[in-house]
Amino acid sequence: MMLPVASLVRREYLRWIRAPTWVISGLMSPILYLLLFGQAFDLGKLLPAGTPPAELAAVLSGAPNYFSYFAVGMVAFASVTAAMFSGTGIIFDKQLGILQRVLSTPISRRSVFLSSLTFRGILTLIPAFLVVGFALLLAHVPDVAGLTVGSGVTVLNAAQFLAAALVLSVAFTALFLSFGFAAQRIESYFGVVTILQLPILLTSNAMYPTSIMPTWLQYIVAFNPISLAVNIMRMSLFGTAGYPYSAAVYFAGLLAWAALFIGLAMLLASRALRTNPAASPTGGALSDAIAQ
Amino acid sequence: MSGSPVQDVVIDVDDLRMVYPAPKVGTAATVAVDGVTFRVARGEIFGFLGPNGAGKTTTISILTTLLQATSGRASVEGIDVATRPNDVRRKLGLVFQRSTADEELTGRENMTIQAGLYGRRGPAVDRRITELLTQMDLAAVGDRLVKTYSGGMRRRLELAVGMVHDPKLLFLDEPTLGLDPQGRAGFWRYIRSLRDSGGVTVFMTTHYLDEADQLCDRIAVIDHGKIIATGTPKELKDGIGGDSLEVAVAAGAADLSPLVTSMPGVKAVSRRDDTYRVKCTNGEQLIPKVVLAAEQAGISVRGVMVLKPTLEEVFLELTGRAYREEGEVPKAEKNGSNGEAGVVEARP
Repeated sequence: MMLPVASLVRREYLRWIRAPTWVISGLMSPILYLLLFGQAFDLGKLLPAGTPPAELAAVLSGAPNYFSYFAVGMVAFASVTAAMFSGTGIIFDKQLGILQRVLSTPISRRSVFLSSLTFRGILTLIPAFLVVGFALLLAHVPDVAGLTVGSGVTVLNAAQFLAAALVLSVAFTALFLSFGFAAQRIESYFGVVTILQLPILLTSNAMYPTSIMPTWLQYIVAFNPISLAVNIMRMSLFGTAGYPYSAAVYFAGLLAWAALFIGLAMLLASRALRTNPAASPTGGALSDAIAQ
Repeated sequence: MSGSPVQDVVIDVDDLRMVYPAPKVGTAATVAVDGVTFRVARGEIFGFLGPNGAGKTTTISILTTLLQATSGRASVEGIDVATRPNDVRRKLGLVFQRSTADEELTGRENMTIQAGLYGRRGPAVDRRITELLTQMDLAAVGDRLVKTYSGGMRRRLELAVGMVHDPKLLFLDEPTLGLDPQGRAGFWRYIRSLRDSGGVTVFMTTHYLDEADQLCDRIAVIDHGKIIATGTPKELKDGIGGDSLEVAVAAGAADLSPLVTSMPGVKAVSRRDDTYRVKCTNGEQLIPKVVLAAEQAGISVRGVMVLKPTLEEVFLELTGRAYREEGEVPKAEKNGSNGEAGVVEARP
């Protein structure tokens, strides 16, 4: 039972290791944000001179400076942008007939989906790690803002940070995988995905504190999965002061999103992998392929 | 037809229909397979012959569980393809019309992963892969990425991938599309050896008439979703009247027809100018009789030729139209096909 799944994961791994381009593509936006936006835009400088650091920290959820606050948001954003590429493989597999060949073997339909989700979900973490490392490094470059972490960060905090990043990665991987199962062409896939990218980022607290937003936006931001993950990640690095809820509550919310996206992906995957063309969204392509 | 599978029937298809729903409102549904019934016996090479769009790939997709039929029944090794698809998948190997290997992987990796999908791995599988690569003449390139392969190598790899789990039943969809003549001959040899030494049953589709004629033990001719004839190539060809004798006589000679029509084995005689075409059961035996009768009647025979029937004539006879008039374009991957057997190379 495990061997078929392992075989599919191995295939994805071999493909990826030979052309890891999308890690770079997924990294581009977050790194540019860190290097340009994060350096130029410092909310702390907008406060009146002589504002006590405690007051600034209160606005920035306990972060010692704006860049540190912002960098954590970019870690979450890196997961989302990396996940944007997770649905592409399935579209190519459909177009090239590779999926059809896999479906002609006795592997279970669920394994096809789970192997993609596991591999891509974990892979999506790599850009997030790289962004953390990059932001930490920047702190040691003179005249450049970098991520500064409190000395009280424990292994447990780090684990909590990691867990939030992982659940966020898996959730968005599932969401974009479901688009991949539904889409027939790479163009329509990226059409939808790029339309979503900015709204998902801008309706979160990744870039600026919720407290300076209008109330209506605050409600949207509170439920955004990026916000939920970022809350947990900031809590683990900068402390829990100022949050209305505990990390567990945010985790519950994040897991609910993950469950929703995974459920959606499983639904669309099972429809795409079904063999009856009348009910399947791939019926069109399949019958096209057969009719010629 | 009932539940008890006959031992030597490997594929049993009964009144299979496949209707693709209309893609848009106002367009017509497509009847791709229209009541197809046939059986394939163990150890035979069974050919599904027909022009493109006749319903061949749809049928093979239903038999290999990739499509669900609209109605009718099909079973493989006595297992119903609709109700127990996963058990059917274990029994068969499938070679697709187009290359489905992963381009970014080597040939060997593709095969190892395919074996894994069937739950197989280990030294025995590795040996099997090496053996198949050698048989397919791919040993030298087995560890190169598939994207560096030529069209012929891809076709052979496709077959090797389909064989990696040692299936006793092999489905081949247009297996020689895009192969050059040597490649096709080599492929035919390999398929025959599978049948002869391995007892493998082969179900294949082809639109190459000569391939069906030379390779297949039995053929079903399919056109517009219906089987219009089934039998061995010889039976089909004999069925349309066996041989033809073409007799050329001297210009202005008397009519030969009355003399020949009454001869045993002659079915029909037609004449165009000074050339007669005699449809008969055994052309060679008829030659001396015709020549003798003509000489006795003072008709000078200038030449006699025996024309063996071809499947092309069978198709013409059954459908009323020539096979090559389909205007078909082979769905070749990269370089197109070699244009044999009446395939028109159209479109760039």
